[in-house]
Amino acid sequence: MFSKIWKSLFTSKKRLSLSTGIKNVMVGTMLVVTASFLLSTYVVTINERKDFSKRESESVIATLSNNIVSEIDKYKSLSRLIMTDDSILTFLRSDVSRVDISMINDARYGIMDILNVTEGVDTVMIFREDMIMATTNRFSYKYDSDVLNGEEWKKDIYAGMGKAVISINSNGIAHKLEHKPVVTIGRAIYDIDSQKRTGILLMNISGTAFSRLLDNLNYSDICIMGEDGSFIAGNSEYVDLFEDEFLSTETTHKNVRVNKKLTLLSGARIENTPIVVMRVSPYGMAGIPHRMIYILVFLLFVIILLTACIGFYIRLNITEPIFELSNSMEKNRQCGKLDKIEVPVPNTELEMLENDYNSMIDHVNELIGKLVEKEKNLQKAEMRVLQEQIKPHFLYNSIDTIGYMAFDAGAKNVHEALETLGSFYRNFLSKGEKNIPLSREIWIVKDYLSIQKLRYGDILEDEYDISEEATSYIVPKLILQPLVENCIYHGIRPKGEKGTISIKAEVIDEKLHLSVKDTGVGMTQEQIEKIMTTQKGEEEDIDSESFGLWGTIERIRYYTGVEDVVSISSEIGEYTEIEFTIPNLSYPAGE
Amino acid sequence: MDRTYRVMVIDDEESARNLMKAAFDWESLGMEVVGEAASGIEAINTIDEIKPDIAFVDISMPFMDGIEFTKLATERYPNLIIIIMTAIDQFEYARKCVSLPVFDYMLKPVVRTEVTEVLERAGNKLAGMDDFWEAIADKDGATEGDNPTESIKKYVKENFTDPKLNLAFIAQNFGFSASYLSRKFKADTGKNFVEYLTDIRMTKAIGFARSGYKMYQTASAVGIPDPNYFGRCFKKYTGKKYSEYGL
Repeated sequence: MFSKIWKSLFTSKKRLSLSTGIKNVMVGTMLVVTASFLLSTYVVTINERKDFSKRESESVIATLSNNIVSEIDKYKSLSRLIMTDDSILTFLRSDVSRVDISMINDARYGIMDILNVTEGVDTVMIFREDMIMATTNRFSYKYDSDVLNGEEWKKDIYAGMGKAVISINSNGIAHKLEHKPVVTIGRAIYDIDSQKRTGILLMNISGTAFSRLLDNLNYSDICIMGEDGSFIAGNSEYVDLFEDEFLSTETTHKNVRVNKKLTLLSGARIENTPIVVMRVSPYGMAGIPHRMIYILVFLLFVIILLTACIGFYIRLNITEPIFELSNSMEKNRQCGKLDKIEVPVPNTELEMLENDYNSMIDHVNELIGKLVEKEKNLQKAEMRVLQEQIKPHFLYNSIDTIGYMAFDAGAKNVHEALETLGSFYRNFLSKGEKNIPLSREIWIVKDYLSIQKLRYGDILEDEYDISEEATSYIVPKLILQPLVENCIYHGIRPKGEKGTISIKAEVIDEKLHLSVKDTGVGMTQEQIEKIMTTQKGEEEDIDSESFGLWGTIERIRYYTGVEDVVSISSEIGEYTEIEFTIPNLSYPAGE
Repeated sequence: MDRTYRVMVIDDEESARNLMKAAFDWESLGMEVVGEAASGIEAINTIDEIKPDIAFVDISMPFMDGIEFTKLATERYPNLIIIIMTAIDQFEYARKCVSLPVFDYMLKPVVRTEVTEVLERAGNKLAGMDDFWEAIADKDGATEGDNPTESIKKYVKENFTDPKLNLAFIAQNFGFSASYLSRKFKADTGKNFVEYLTDIRMTKAIGFARSGYKMYQTASAVGIPDPNYFGRCFKKYTGKKYSEYGL
């Protein structure tokens, strides 16, 4: 799943810009860092707190154990003191026949004398080998005579060979009234002189002795118990939390809920005793490793700052310069000129990119140059083919030959018509020149009209008023012929009556004024405006009737470089007059 | 070959029409040039009387060009053999109209062997067919209860300004064959249809002429937008030129 996210981050279908990518990566890094920081802080805090609580519990339990052991040691020495008391020795050494109440009482008083110096001892029981007993506090105990008369309870005491053996509740032979808990120190008694076993001593230490110990140490969260789970001292609420695991002398820890709060339960058995100490400690603030968290927060800050710095650096040194480069390339493309670009870039890699682009521009320009050259050559070749196709000489010679044949056959009019046609084509082609003297253009028109008269019969007359100065004026070839053609097809013929075409040329203020007038159907104001205002590129708006006229006007505009070269005047059903004003151009714009 | 096929030449150049008439040996082809027209307008007005089997149609003509006329003619005379004539610079335009059911396209200037070949093929096609002008006449036999003449007269009076109006159009619209209608109309009115239509148009034209309208304007207004043809009709009808009339 993670690899999926990773993939989608770096190979997503929608391609991101580098700057957006960097922003995403930065934000992602910050998020990941912050999240892992929080997670690790949390884990560390929890662990530290747990360890802290454990350590605390262990030390508390150890301290308490030491205290209990030394407390018990105190009673142990007390029990040795009792063993060596004269009244006790007498009681133990006497023959059974000599033992009487007074001897037992002596023994009891002897014990009590010793016990007077201390608190906490509830009772002391001394059994002779024949089970005659001297005891204090006899009536606050209830004896279990079955156990008492058996041998079982003596075994571990005998095994101690005179050493103190700690047990719970009188080693099972008796229990205190109201089941108050006691800790019992048991010893086998050996005679000092004969080294023969003479009896057993049991000393019961009351639970309150331990309670007092706890009070002195100010422990309220401790419960002292017997290894059988019976309560001895401390907080009795924890009795139910007892588990067999705590019988180990090593401290064992568990998480338990006390009053719905998660708390640490620790417990251990005190070595060589059947006493278990349990401690319950809630997890508090005490365990939180504040210093460590401060360090982590500082690190987090440093990382975020570093990420931001890296992002800024990348933007300043990579994305921004790339944008600038791209912008100047785009400008280059839009203006259409393929110039080299000059953008200051901050590092060598981008400089490399810029140089590569510039050398590509060089290469492209070179290629374009070659292409243009090739295209020019191609055009020249095509022109030659075209000229070959026209083959004017063949045409003229054929016309001449046919003309002669007609002349020879007496068809004078055919000869004249062919002569006119030959003249028309000679001027029309004009050796491929673009600009010709006005006189030659007038000849083209005259020939054209005489041929048209042959075709359509007697439908028009033509008049010319050309000033001497105007004849040598250089004009674009075919400036008049299309206008005259227009006069016939869109002026005179639609009228159905014989018409007149008048052509006038004069030079005023070094400008040639050229006018073509026909007595045809005329043009509406709208038609005139349309022709005058239509721009290049919108010519599809013009109807086919006006197209020739518009095209001629465009050509003259192009030739002169002036927009305002033409005026059209007309009256419907009467006439149309088109007048051009052509400045004398030494270097015509069309060349 | 049991009859001589009738040929009509429609071209705006008189010399071109004359060349067509003179350049071919029509007799040996079993054909005869029976009529000509200088524009599509003129052709529409005269074709019902000329009744051609074959029509040469020039593309480039003023007022109504060859394409427009061909569209109309193929609708009204589906069996008419149309041969389109076109100059090289208009061949593309003509090709665009190739969907029209014309018999063939020919390039100008005319090359006689090519045209002869096409005419021979046209002759072969016609040999297998009846004269459709006559076929229509055979089919009539119509004895409609109502006399259509009055409603036709009314229709013509209302629509004479439509330059496309002619006998075949009326016949198609009123559901008769042209030859039946022609005979019926003559029997009822004493004039044939073309005379009747011309009568209406010229009467109107005389009025315009007196009001000082230019000829081309009048021509267009009375449904003969070809002023040359109009001028001839006018002179034939009134005996005077239009330009003399208004004076």
